[in-house]
Amino acid sequence: MIDLATAAPAVGAAFVASAVEVVEAFTIVLAVAALRGWRPALGGALAALGVLALAVAALGPLLNLIPLRGLQVVIGILLLLFGLGWLRKAVLRAAGLMALHDEDAIYAKEKSRLDADVRASRAADGIAALVAFKAVLLEGLEVVFIVMAVGAGRGLMIPAALGALGAFLAVMALGLAIHKPLASVPENTLKFAVGVMLSAFGVFWTSEGIGAPWPGGDFALFGLAGVFLVWALALVALVRPRLAEARP
Amino acid sequence: MSVVLEVLEELWSMFVGDRRLTLLLLAVVAVAAAAAYLAAAHMLAAGLLLAGALAVLADSVFHAARKAGR
Repeated sequence: MIDLATAAPAVGAAFVASAVEVVEAFTIVLAVAALRGWRPALGGALAALGVLALAVAALGPLLNLIPLRGLQVVIGILLLLFGLGWLRKAVLRAAGLMALHDEDAIYAKEKSRLDADVRASRAADGIAALVAFKAVLLEGLEVVFIVMAVGAGRGLMIPAALGALGAFLAVMALGLAIHKPLASVPENTLKFAVGVMLSAFGVFWTSEGIGAPWPGGDFALFGLAGVFLVWALALVALVRPRLAEARP
Repeated sequence: MSVVLEVLEELWSMFVGDRRLTLLLLAVVAVAAAAAYLAAAHMLAAGLLLAGALAVLADSVFHAARKAGR
């Protein structure tokens, strides 16, 4: 029986991180649907989901063959690289050093790019389906990694996968209800939260893997997340005035 | 073929998008692992890993800020 304190961080991290990725994929699938209809858009998206399912089915069992501590070190380092990368971008965006992710702008850009491609080719539906396929495959790969990374270290693959599935259903329901890009989703805030959670998981798993577990067991995750959050907010506060001085 | 290349590029950029951050982080993990294995200083190793990760993040943010300010 998995207790709530153990499963909650994995489910929460998988849900929020997956929501960000699904929003990005949904924006492109919606642009495809607006231009060529739902048939190629859904065809491409479903084909990508099929490829992802096959990849998970093929690679998932291999995880059981790797010794737990080795798995924790590898996944911990990958999570740290991924999490710190997200956190770095979120800090830079919050400080005004990087442009915020604008779903409306991405939607318009994808639509005009696809429009030009489609006009130049007779296989319009095929190109549209391929665009949807690539978007779902690339964003889906990140979701698969996040689910495996937060779930594999302690047998939490099913709760983490449920978190990701919940995010997928929530974004789809919302997106199909309003039928336009989810521009009002506070994406940088979500990415900030995901960066904090993945970095905390990264330190936690890597520490366990190298034989230096944190006191307090799984509850240490909350403390680590708090440290990363405070540190990242402090970095935003430090970088913002420097930037203002550099750009009079 | 371009789909496969794009997938590989995406995977690469997921983890090695910022080479400086990647190298510094691997160095931090190596130092923490050495503390855990060689000195059996487990709390020190865990602390080193956390402090190192925070320092790597700060370095990466300030490095980007300096580049943007130029």
